[in-house]
Amino acid sequence: MSRRIIIVEPRGLAPWWLKLLIPIASVVAALALGALFLMLTGNDWIEVYAKMTDAAFGSGRGFAETLVSATPLILTGVAAAIAFKMLVWNIGGEGQLMVGAIAAAGVGIWLGGGTPPIIAITAVVLAGAIGGAFWASLSAVPKVYLGTNEIITTLMLNFIALNLMQYLVLGSFSPWRDPEATQFPQGRPIIDSARIPEFFHRLDWGLFIAVFVAILAWFVISKTRTGFEYRIVGDSFNTARYAGIRVPKKVLGTFLLSGASAGLAGSILVAGILGKMDPRSLDLGLGFTGIIVAALARLNPIAIIPVAILMGALNNAGPALQSIGVPTATVKILQGAILIFAVAGEFLIGNRFRRPRESVDETPEPAKEASAA
Amino acid sequence: MPDTDQRNDTPAIELRNIDKSFYGVFANADVNFSLAKGEVHTLLGENGAGKSTLCSVMAGLYRPDSGEMLFDGKPTVFKSPKDALAAGVGMVYQHFRLVANLTVAENLALGNPEVGLRLSQSELEAEAKELGERYDFPVDPSARIWQLSVGQQQRVEILKLLYRDAKILILDEPTAVLTPQEGESLFRAMRMLADEGRSLIFVSHKLHEVKAVSDRVTVLREGRVVGAVDTVDAEPRDLARMMVGKDLVLPTRKPNESVGDEVLVIKDLVVEDDRGLDAVDGLSITVNAGEVVGIAGVSGNGQRELAQGIVGLMKVKSGSVYLDGTDVTKMSVLAKIKRGIAYVPQSRLGMGLAPGLTTEDNLALKQYREPPYSKGPLLSAAAFKQKGAELIEQFDVRGVRPGLPIRLLSGGNLQKALIAREVVQDHSLLIARSPTRGLDVGATATVRDHILAERDRGIAVLLISEDLDELLALSDRLVVIYEGRIVGEMLASEATAERLGLLMSGHQEDQPA
Repeated sequence: MSRRIIIVEPRGLAPWWLKLLIPIASVVAALALGALFLMLTGNDWIEVYAKMTDAAFGSGRGFAETLVSATPLILTGVAAAIAFKMLVWNIGGEGQLMVGAIAAAGVGIWLGGGTPPIIAITAVVLAGAIGGAFWASLSAVPKVYLGTNEIITTLMLNFIALNLMQYLVLGSFSPWRDPEATQFPQGRPIIDSARIPEFFHRLDWGLFIAVFVAILAWFVISKTRTGFEYRIVGDSFNTARYAGIRVPKKVLGTFLLSGASAGLAGSILVAGILGKMDPRSLDLGLGFTGIIVAALARLNPIAIIPVAILMGALNNAGPALQSIGVPTATVKILQGAILIFAVAGEFLIGNRFRRPRESVDETPEPAKEASAA
Repeated sequence: MPDTDQRNDTPAIELRNIDKSFYGVFANADVNFSLAKGEVHTLLGENGAGKSTLCSVMAGLYRPDSGEMLFDGKPTVFKSPKDALAAGVGMVYQHFRLVANLTVAENLALGNPEVGLRLSQSELEAEAKELGERYDFPVDPSARIWQLSVGQQQRVEILKLLYRDAKILILDEPTAVLTPQEGESLFRAMRMLADEGRSLIFVSHKLHEVKAVSDRVTVLREGRVVGAVDTVDAEPRDLARMMVGKDLVLPTRKPNESVGDEVLVIKDLVVEDDRGLDAVDGLSITVNAGEVVGIAGVSGNGQRELAQGIVGLMKVKSGSVYLDGTDVTKMSVLAKIKRGIAYVPQSRLGMGLAPGLTTEDNLALKQYREPPYSKGPLLSAAAFKQKGAELIEQFDVRGVRPGLPIRLLSGGNLQKALIAREVVQDHSLLIARSPTRGLDVGATATVRDHILAERDRGIAVLLISEDLDELLALSDRLVVIYEGRIVGEMLASEATAERLGLLMSGHQEDQPA
């Protein structure tokens, strides 16, 4: 083994400013990488970034659109964060969102036109949460009782949800399909009283539902007895069992709540900006972007809010780029780069580098199995 | 058979003055060892005596810090296990190195440089079958590893070495995972291999096995060689004394004055291990208020299953556990905590503590459900802080900083925090597994004091340990277990090294030694 020049070792306790600095630095680094890419493809990166900033934050309408994009990302971000914190690898936010949308639209269509708004909105929004939780339960129950791998099941169920959603509108004459749409199949509009009111351009009150859910998640995790139990389980299954906590129940609970949060994203889209189950507008990778949001927020539900707004801004800025001849996919590159830098930054929070001391000999390390017995 | 006339009969392996330490702690010190060709040589010693380390040195997994290794008379340094195997030295580790999803034949071929890019399943399987039959070691070469029993997997490990034509086979506690019948067949195969001229190193701490299979025994204690004898001359009594060592120093502590009521009563307890074997096999013990009962035994004889069966972490197959006169056998872990079972598990960070949470959080791990920690569904951060600070002060837990995950504390401080939490809750029984394992002298003394203080205030203490010093320093009564059964019981004041050594190695009291 050659002599090491740099020693990497676990860091004790990372200072608070580092935990803040590193995510910000990852965004900056990703933007720098993006700038390099833009330069290499012959674009004026300053112009592109200026255009993006303007589109996302430069006007009231633009900012409203940014928040509209951020709303579902807050919820899918919370969905990923609470699951990952408990070592439940739910990557089915995508499918849970879609099934939430199906359930929400179903209730919104089925309700009579005379239903008072408060009841109608509540019913539609909750239907989405229940739908998402139901879809999550299809992975959660086998995981807890049979030990199946949730990464595989949630991923597969994403595709089933997508096909189901498309079938209901594009492939059949189900109640979800608008009978009046003669040209191209469309989702049937939900009743007007179930629509969440807008208050600033296209932005509706769904944003506050999402922010409330994020704050609630934070509160439950850090301030309640149940949250303490979740934190113990997320830290060590064995220790949780030892402390008398019923681990399977907690894992199941987390998984369902995670699915409910993603499902809520679907129902808020249906009851908010869409007004119907529109398969195209629900198939934008919002569940997967939520995973990026959660990772960048270091699984902290409060931090998810600003991170989701940043990601929303990027999404929102994408179409504006086309007007100056830059591909919309630039936004995807930036989002991907941010994730990679954030994950790399996570390593820096947990470890530090130092030069080896001159005098110390390199001690051979015992193999992992070293039972010095 | 020893043939003294052939003076040029060089040993297969000879170790001279081998030292090996980990992070400044000696695992082997000045070890001299010689393995003759065609012999089965047992390495005998307690847990932690340095047997596995020595084997790993010979198998090329570790490199000695100093000393010389002669292989067939020539000084040799193995750079890796691969290197060692190429020279003909192979080892079967306690934890098998097999690929579960591959077949037996594929596992044999794995790592063999002679197997090129093209694999012929049928050729490999035929070879594997032939090899198995030659040593009366039948395994289905097309079976996948996960389909095999542990005993069969071990055969594959041995066949793997034979497939590479290893001349020296090192078997690290091979019988620990075997049924007695499987053990018998292993011994037959070992004899056959020795008769072919191969040399075998056999690691064990069971005296009857030493007698059954080996030609020569080297006894290790605390990393050093205590002695080497021919098996025919070895008296179990002597081996036991060599293994346990030093005349036991009986601790100077006041005996418990009054023993109270029965607190823990265990009747015919049977608990299965993860493999479904009866690891605790019909055990009955009573622990009274105000006494420490020590469970002595070599690790892997049912200690884990006994402790976890009592506290409810493992399912009790049959028998019963009574606490203060109530049958608690089938109660949940939580119900047992509430009824008064405190438990200091062997693994601090693996079970007793939540490594990523703070010390204050960990100190509340058993009591957070009640006031002052909980107010209705909410937690009181102030109570966590205040109660935490009190316990940290009272039990002298050092190194705590706000927000610091507990895993970053030292072993002694971890244990102090763990014991603090367990003894402040209401309880009548304390179960502790190897509570001073890995601690320095100061922390060991503190932990022992806490346990004796528990006894003096009338708690029933069940101490499960592999460390005889610890057992003798703390226990009033000693119970020796072997293969999940009680093989002897005595007052701590009557214990001798020889008697404990024999019992722990599976000799029954009434058998002639």
